[in-house]
Amino acid sequence: MSALPAAPRQGRRAWLLSNSPASRLQARLGRAYMVWLRFSANGLAVAGLAIILLLVLVAIFAGLLAPHSPTLGDLAGARLLPPGTPGYLLGTDDQGRDILSRLIYGSRLTLFVVVLVAVIAAPVGLLVGTVAGYAGGWLDAVLMRITDIFLAFPKLVLALAFAAALGPGIENAVIAIAITSWPPYARIARAETLTVRNSDYIAAVRLVGASPWRIVLRHVMPMCLSSLIVRVTLDMAGIILTAAGLGFLGLGAQPPTPEWGAMIASGRRFILDQWWVATMPGIAIFVVSLGFNLLGDGLRDALDPKEGAQ
Amino acid sequence: MTVHLRKQLIALAAGVSLAVIANGVPALAATPADTLVEAFAIDDIISLDPAEAFELSTAEVTCNTYDLLVRLDINDTSKVVPDLAESWTVSPDRLTYTFKLKPGLVFASGNPITAEDVAWSFERAVKLNLNPAFLLNQFGLTGDNVADKAKAVDPTTFTLTVDQPYAPSFVLNVLTSTVGSVVDKKLVLEHVKPVTPSDENKYDNDFGNGWLKTNYAGSGPFVTRVWKPSEAVVLERNDKYFGEKAKLARVIYRHIKESSGQRLALEAGDIDVARNLEPGDLEAVQANKDLAVASAAKGTIYYISLNQKNPNLAKPEVIEALKYLVDYDAIGKTLIKGIGQIHQTFLPKGQLGAVDENPYKLDLAKAKQLLAGAGLPDGFSVTMDVRSTQPVSGIAESFQQTAGQAGVKVEIIPGDGKQTLTKYRARKHDIYIGQWGSDYWDPNSNAETFTANPDNSDDGKSKTLAWRNAWDVPALTAKTKSALLEEDPAKRAAIYKELQEAVLKDGPFVTIFQQIEVAGLSGKLKGFRLGPTFDSNFLAAVSKD
Repeated sequence: MSALPAAPRQGRRAWLLSNSPASRLQARLGRAYMVWLRFSANGLAVAGLAIILLLVLVAIFAGLLAPHSPTLGDLAGARLLPPGTPGYLLGTDDQGRDILSRLIYGSRLTLFVVVLVAVIAAPVGLLVGTVAGYAGGWLDAVLMRITDIFLAFPKLVLALAFAAALGPGIENAVIAIAITSWPPYARIARAETLTVRNSDYIAAVRLVGASPWRIVLRHVMPMCLSSLIVRVTLDMAGIILTAAGLGFLGLGAQPPTPEWGAMIASGRRFILDQWWVATMPGIAIFVVSLGFNLLGDGLRDALDPKEGAQ
Repeated sequence: MTVHLRKQLIALAAGVSLAVIANGVPALAATPADTLVEAFAIDDIISLDPAEAFELSTAEVTCNTYDLLVRLDINDTSKVVPDLAESWTVSPDRLTYTFKLKPGLVFASGNPITAEDVAWSFERAVKLNLNPAFLLNQFGLTGDNVADKAKAVDPTTFTLTVDQPYAPSFVLNVLTSTVGSVVDKKLVLEHVKPVTPSDENKYDNDFGNGWLKTNYAGSGPFVTRVWKPSEAVVLERNDKYFGEKAKLARVIYRHIKESSGQRLALEAGDIDVARNLEPGDLEAVQANKDLAVASAAKGTIYYISLNQKNPNLAKPEVIEALKYLVDYDAIGKTLIKGIGQIHQTFLPKGQLGAVDENPYKLDLAKAKQLLAGAGLPDGFSVTMDVRSTQPVSGIAESFQQTAGQAGVKVEIIPGDGKQTLTKYRARKHDIYIGQWGSDYWDPNSNAETFTANPDNSDDGKSKTLAWRNAWDVPALTAKTKSALLEEDPAKRAAIYKELQEAVLKDGPFVTIFQQIEVAGLSGKLKGFRLGPTFDSNFLAAVSKD
């Protein structure tokens, strides 16, 4: 006999939505369920989530899904075939490589870039913003001026400069994008911190004797997370476009890596007569960027604490 | 009052703009009738100084803006014709050449052209000792003796003394290359900058090189008005030119790198000539009734070269294996269709002694077997510097795939012309893909660079392709030299055949194809013609309807 007997469906819903949760776990799950309810009510947001899930699945199973090798082409026999040619659903490029297979393998690079940038840039921005906001004084001034300096440059130009200095390559492109994308997160985190730093619960924690680090890490940062997640998700589309831009300019992935931006770059030579070479990766970038934007929009609505207050 | 005036002005302005709209401003982007606009990838230009410039695009600019003593006859490439020189004589011992200049010649600046200018042009080229200096150094000219060996006897007589009894045709052929361009001594001397002498450069001035890099001091049918790197080169007619004046007042080279961009601009009438058309776009231009195509087989061959400083690439089996790892057939049928023909020897078809045989084919099994023989059964990793322009980057990607199938992992490092060339000339590459254009129409030009390497040390003076790839071949160097002194053309041709066989078998050069240069032309152009070399694409005869 299990500790929690399987409750009827209606009962579980009521348990989740209970106004008087009996445990912390129940309260948390209840909040999460509320978020999900609001999120799933938004059809476009669910569509965005589906696109992203599909991208993840395609990336994981690229080896099974791709009909051909992404890097080995048939120069003599299958060059620049139009979409719909038997065996080559989306056509082939100038080296006789299957565009569909390259797009499928390219999804891994796209995810790699997006995830890595989020993993590097978001924590840095969060830390800088919360420390600056909580500490105030000269530390705040120094950290925010550094942030201002980074914000003073157009993002793509700064990323270009870093990528050029670090040398071409997908890892360096990730680093360059990460370096340029943390400042907005720091700004958001600082703004959120300023609204909570003088609230009663912080004063209470301080009275108990918690160190400033503990307060920032355990009591301030969680308050900033939801707005940061929304912002990062919305930025994903921008990150993909920046990565594609770097690839297009020859500073991202190196040949023969099937990076979508680089694929457009090599396809632009044929744009007049063989439109599909540049168009197919363009559609892929468009769809994935749209997916992230829809997802971010939905998350913003769902996570908004003001709407969530009940 | 003022308000009233302003209303009137506004009404007037509105009226004018309406009138303009009503008249219909012509939407055509036609080029001016007196100007030739060419789209050309000119990002390889690093200097306009004839003593320094050694790039393909610069060769064309220099040949249209500077004059030489003698020029290649583009109608019969076995002959040279007078340019600044009226006549010349060779001494019986074949060591002294005496040139008599035409009378009354002037530079574009108005200064008279004298034998003194010719002598100083030779002197500065030799003393600066930049990339093309080896062309003159091979006559035994050095910084110490050039003032005696190349000198003005009187204002219209110039003598050149060479160190060995070369075949006269060879000497004259060399003098048709752009390093022999005559510069305006008086004008350049006004812009000379002092430099501190060092071990490498023992002269106390820069011979005006700093100024001539971006400026002009010549006498050709055109003068160079401006060069904006990777943007444009503008030439203007030189009305003081001694020969037949250029028909057009201006030539503008616009840097458009993309073939499709060039084709679009040509179809739209924004340019008159598209110089870097790729096969697909070339077919479209050929099919267009309003456009025309010019083509000429060039003395330019495209090759992949293997730096012998890399221990893997230095193994003979690896060199041979890589020659079996290029898909020549497929490349010939696709990537270079219409712009090149597969050619595996280093002498372009049409030159004395050129061997026209292509023994290598893509053969994975053979290549794997050779790699195993070299102790590298699993292949190896290597980098390849590639200028990000077609067709080389396409060929590089194709090579990357075929080599990958035999386990050779090629990492492509893309860059612009300047980056890759600078790295190549410093011998810091592993594999390089590029082209070699003959400096003059003589087999020695290619033999000298592919098979001669007099000093393989890092500070070697002769920066030939063999040197750039650290290929130390004293025997072939001597053989190349012997061909130069061989008077009998048949025997000379036989030596060049042997040299080609040697490179074909063991050389670190995977020669892929010989270029056919094509240009898409506007239908309005008349007299546009591509020459056999890059420094014989003359523009003076071009006109427009």
